[in-house]
Amino acid sequence: MTDGPLIVQSDKTLLLEVDHPRAEEARRAIAPFAELERAPEHIHTYRVTPLGLWNARAAGHDAEQVVNALITFSRYAVPHALLVDVADTMDRYGRLTLEKDPEHGLLLRTTDRPVLEEVLRHKKIKPLMGERIDADRVLVHPSERGHLKQELLKVGWPAEDEAGYVDGEAHRIDLDNADWSMRPYQQQAVDGFWHGGSGVVVLPCGAGKTLVGAGAMAQAKATTLILVTNTVSARQWRDELIKRTSLTEEEIGEYSGARKEIRPVTIATYQVLTTRRKGVYTHLDLLDARDWGLIVYDEVHLLPAPIFRMTADLQARRRLGLTATLVREDGREADVFSLIGPKRYDAPWKDIEAQGYIAPADCVEVRVTLPDSERLAYAVAEPEDRYRLASCSPVKIPVVEKIVAQHRGEPTLVIGQYLDQLDELSQRLGAEVITGATSVAERQKLFQAFRVGEIDLLVVSKVANFSIDLPEASVAIQVSGTFGSRQEEAQRLGRVLRPKGDGRTAHFYSVVARDTVDAEFAAHRQRFLAEQGYAYRIVDADDLGDVPA
Amino acid sequence: MADDVRGRTDDELRALLHRRQDLARPAPADLSALAARASTRASVQRAVDSLDLAHLQVLEAALTAPATSSSPVQPSTVAALLGSTAAEVQPLLDDLWTVALLWRSPEGLRVVRTVGEVLVHPAGLGPRATDLPGAAPAPPADAVVAAVSDAPPAARAILDRLTWGPPMAVLPTGTPDRVAEGARWLLEHHLVRSVGGEQIALPREVALALRGGRSHAEPALTSPDLHGEDRTPDAVDAAAGQQVTDLLALVDELAAEWGLRPPRVLRSGGLAVRDLKRIGSVLDVDETRAAFVVELAYAAGLLADDGSLDPSWAPTPAYDEWQQQPGDQRWAVVARAWLLTTRAPHLVGTTPAGASGTVNALGPDAHWPPARGLRRDVLDQLGDAPTGLAPAPASVANALRWRRPRRVPGTLEAVIAATLREAEWLGVTGRGALSTAGRALLEGRDQSSLAAAMQPHLPDPVEHVLLQADLTAIAPGPLAGGLATFMRLVADVESRGGATVYRFTPDSVRRALDAGWSVDQVVGTLSDASHTPVPQPLDYLVRDVARRHGQARVGAMRAYIRCDDETTLGAMLAERALSPLQLRSIAPTVLVSPVAAETVVDFLRENGFAPAAETPDGGIVVPQAGRHRTPLQRRTSPVTATGVDDELVTTLVGALRAGEAAADYHREQVATRPGPSLPSTDPTTTLAVLRDAAADRQAVWLGYSDADGRVQRLLFYPERVEGGRVHGTTEGLNRTLSIHRVTGAAVG
Repeated sequence: MTDGPLIVQSDKTLLLEVDHPRAEEARRAIAPFAELERAPEHIHTYRVTPLGLWNARAAGHDAEQVVNALITFSRYAVPHALLVDVADTMDRYGRLTLEKDPEHGLLLRTTDRPVLEEVLRHKKIKPLMGERIDADRVLVHPSERGHLKQELLKVGWPAEDEAGYVDGEAHRIDLDNADWSMRPYQQQAVDGFWHGGSGVVVLPCGAGKTLVGAGAMAQAKATTLILVTNTVSARQWRDELIKRTSLTEEEIGEYSGARKEIRPVTIATYQVLTTRRKGVYTHLDLLDARDWGLIVYDEVHLLPAPIFRMTADLQARRRLGLTATLVREDGREADVFSLIGPKRYDAPWKDIEAQGYIAPADCVEVRVTLPDSERLAYAVAEPEDRYRLASCSPVKIPVVEKIVAQHRGEPTLVIGQYLDQLDELSQRLGAEVITGATSVAERQKLFQAFRVGEIDLLVVSKVANFSIDLPEASVAIQVSGTFGSRQEEAQRLGRVLRPKGDGRTAHFYSVVARDTVDAEFAAHRQRFLAEQGYAYRIVDADDLGDVPA
Repeated sequence: MADDVRGRTDDELRALLHRRQDLARPAPADLSALAARASTRASVQRAVDSLDLAHLQVLEAALTAPATSSSPVQPSTVAALLGSTAAEVQPLLDDLWTVALLWRSPEGLRVVRTVGEVLVHPAGLGPRATDLPGAAPAPPADAVVAAVSDAPPAARAILDRLTWGPPMAVLPTGTPDRVAEGARWLLEHHLVRSVGGEQIALPREVALALRGGRSHAEPALTSPDLHGEDRTPDAVDAAAGQQVTDLLALVDELAAEWGLRPPRVLRSGGLAVRDLKRIGSVLDVDETRAAFVVELAYAAGLLADDGSLDPSWAPTPAYDEWQQQPGDQRWAVVARAWLLTTRAPHLVGTTPAGASGTVNALGPDAHWPPARGLRRDVLDQLGDAPTGLAPAPASVANALRWRRPRRVPGTLEAVIAATLREAEWLGVTGRGALSTAGRALLEGRDQSSLAAAMQPHLPDPVEHVLLQADLTAIAPGPLAGGLATFMRLVADVESRGGATVYRFTPDSVRRALDAGWSVDQVVGTLSDASHTPVPQPLDYLVRDVARRHGQARVGAMRAYIRCDDETTLGAMLAERALSPLQLRSIAPTVLVSPVAAETVVDFLRENGFAPAAETPDGGIVVPQAGRHRTPLQRRTSPVTATGVDDELVTTLVGALRAGEAAADYHREQVATRPGPSLPSTDPTTTLAVLRDAAADRQAVWLGYSDADGRVQRLLFYPERVEGGRVHGTTEGLNRTLSIHRVTGAAVG
């Protein structure tokens, strides 16, 4: 028994005691193979998964290092079964290798024939394979590279992809470092990505993911396709790239519903790529329009399923995924890993906050009590209507007014899900409302006014979830959300986390109705906040006066 | 044999009784009785079954060695049959003499006759040629070898099958011609004999010639070594300690769960499969391990059938005592229980032999007495292995097969796997090798020294938890008794190991409140147990749950009285004559009573009130006055009896006269019959008399009780005694008699 900072649990979680003197050392040792699952104040929980172990193998770590890290830092004896399992799991990686042969092209080679026999007989893998060259090698059609990797991962025999990447069409891109420089963690993220070839970088909102993209482009020095969620964020990418790199406006094209430009750096929306006419994806040609050297996926946790299928065909290109959270409500994390690539960089939000790169946040859940008549209405409502009923309760409005009044003068966003509620709020608060129906021009005008401080209060709908850049928002009040979506919570919190000029604390309020599903969903979202290291408080609406402004 | 036993020294007799304990109980009257009992089939069977492979092979070789009344078993002959030396075989022969499977006649060693009945085909060899039908002597060995070299392939194939046993074969009608041809060739050349019907047998002499004069293909006079991986003692003990930590936590969680929601005892005894699955998911272990934990707790007396009318499984008071002890002591209790239990958790979920359905945990089918002996055997193998050796299960199986070749169950591999697995879970082994504490357990040390052996390898108990804002609490080590119980009550265990992660949920907090804790007690205990302040969300959660806790109340009563006039109800409450109704007001217009509604109605009427009875759905009960009837009755016809008449009496008297005459005739017969008088003898003596007579081909007088219960006298020529029956001839007829029907036997 040593006095290590790590406790290894039988369910393959690792508990790291944050305040231990050797905690940082241990964190570095386990980070390559364990996923950070929760990062509350005292003990961080990591999980050892097969995926994580294989990623570690892909990054050049072997089982001995993993076992050694566990034994060195563990406080108690490490369950032997876990060590055996680690060794066995890691041993499965690399039995199959995808490689490029000058004579035959792409092929799958094995060092262990029974494994090859097993996968060749698998009914989902069989159709992906070509002709068998000899006992150890089978041809693979280049277009099936992604599918094959995905299926092999599912059957537990991940392939080591040594087929490499095409360089793509060279295009000079430099960072314009005149008045800024990459933050250390951004540089680490770029290096981690570039070293690994492809993969996902996880950074909190406001931590400058766009710059990581720019950094990667400067490394690749090749034509780049950037896939983003919507036009607003496409414009932001363009502005940022012009500002931070040597790229000019002529070199950057926008491929969206409105415009179809293909230039050395092209920014396309997911929506246009997944548009179908008569069952055919009409804009797929974009992917082959140029010999892209790098593909950047913004908000990779939102990647729609058709893009997954298209990405499977792009395995020879370097791929960079950017996201604030790898939590997908649809549970397709494994697809992200197998098709885009493993997680290359991740840091607890709190750490980046401690370094001063994102604003410290004060998260408060405000509970309102429904009046008796509404409680009765709620009790007899159909289950599918209950959430709407609870989250749109009129009693929330005075509470929001109260919070807004407390933060008068600070840039404040009121975020909600239901338009009726938003309209009413906008009337009562005398603020403009932005919804999906607001035109892009109107939206940008309002954002600009908000940005320069002409207005300090906006009511926004779901559109605020994604990549709108509101640098000075320091108070967010959410009145309703998409059920218990943790992803949405991360995005909304991100709205207030951009560092403030004066180092002010950001405030994040959720107004929920007590004893209803609204509160249950809120608990679900808040667990996510706590797991990210954000302590939150719960106050009753009547006690709001006690909240320090 | 009896002389041999009488000639033994006290030490030798002590050794014999020690090795064959069945001979000592009940205590035999004298040495002759001891000798007789030692040669009974049951006792010999027991002794032979407990031999290891070396002794068994020597005994088989001795049985095979040609011996006549003048030339007894020679060590050199036995050694030659085993391809060994007389010096190597002699100690084994001496040992067999000690356990009285061999005896010393004046000429030399002889095999006890019953051994031949127990080992019917010793070393897979058939009967001697002279004992087979035809009784012709076998051809000499060189003639056999010469004949075989000319044999056609079909005959060779048959011989190859019979040479190393079993020595009998059946050639049913419809045997392919080629095979039948081969068999015919063998019969013609006297290499096999026909033994009636479609069976053929390979005579012992022929088989020995074909075996090249050896009795066993693989003589194994020394025990096989265990092999496996070597572990360092530290790694072994550390792993054991970690397993014990897990196990104790599992037992505690089991008790916590069943203390709260005890599962039903099945009518057949045992735990329902569904309940086992459920506890498995609560403990987050698979069903095999869940069954083990449940059975272990049961074996250690920590849980039991609560004996109520609708019985359920629940922790015992012994559990509460056990739970308060330090971890090492707790381990010592369960480890000893495991070593001694005759329950076999690994059978749970399997299908019992010759039955349908599966074995339920805690049920009667999981009680398997051989489990204890086998478990001990497996552990003894580990104990005999060098320190730190983690033997491979296959090598343990080999060693056990050598040690008890005739007594291993068909499921040996499963038993070994289960024992090794359970030993690992219990920390008796660590990473497959016997731990220090496990060795102490095998040595039979007492509770406190067992605990002392385990103590250094268990983590020190901690007395604090880390509370976090994500509503988890982490105990960075095993929690001391009281706090552990509290945490399990107030939070759900999310992850287990060196540390325990607890999660607070509204349900878990409500559980604590239901158990009678108040909000302030919960928060106070948490803040005492934590070095840091209680996070605000946790504090809020507890208070929020408490706010709603007990808002609505539920209870049961047998009658209610409702009345819109509060004054009437007030009068009822105040009326002294109504006090037996124990009326209580639960709302201004409702009274309740634990007394049956009819009684309440009667009481109220007697006291001047005029209540109406109500049905459960609020209607008024209207009694049908004066028309009360029983349900429809079925009438049965009366019982009648017939008396005794003249006809019956006459018949009866006739029968009685005839019976008397028969008895007179019988007495006359007894007086004039030949042979000695036959006092009744006990079966052991009868057997000995019959066996001796069969060997010496003598006739005996028997008293034999036939199917009608009459005792006949027979002059019987016994030929062989086996399976509780004696075969032989009487009055020229072949007869088989059951020994238990023989009332007495005397040599004629």
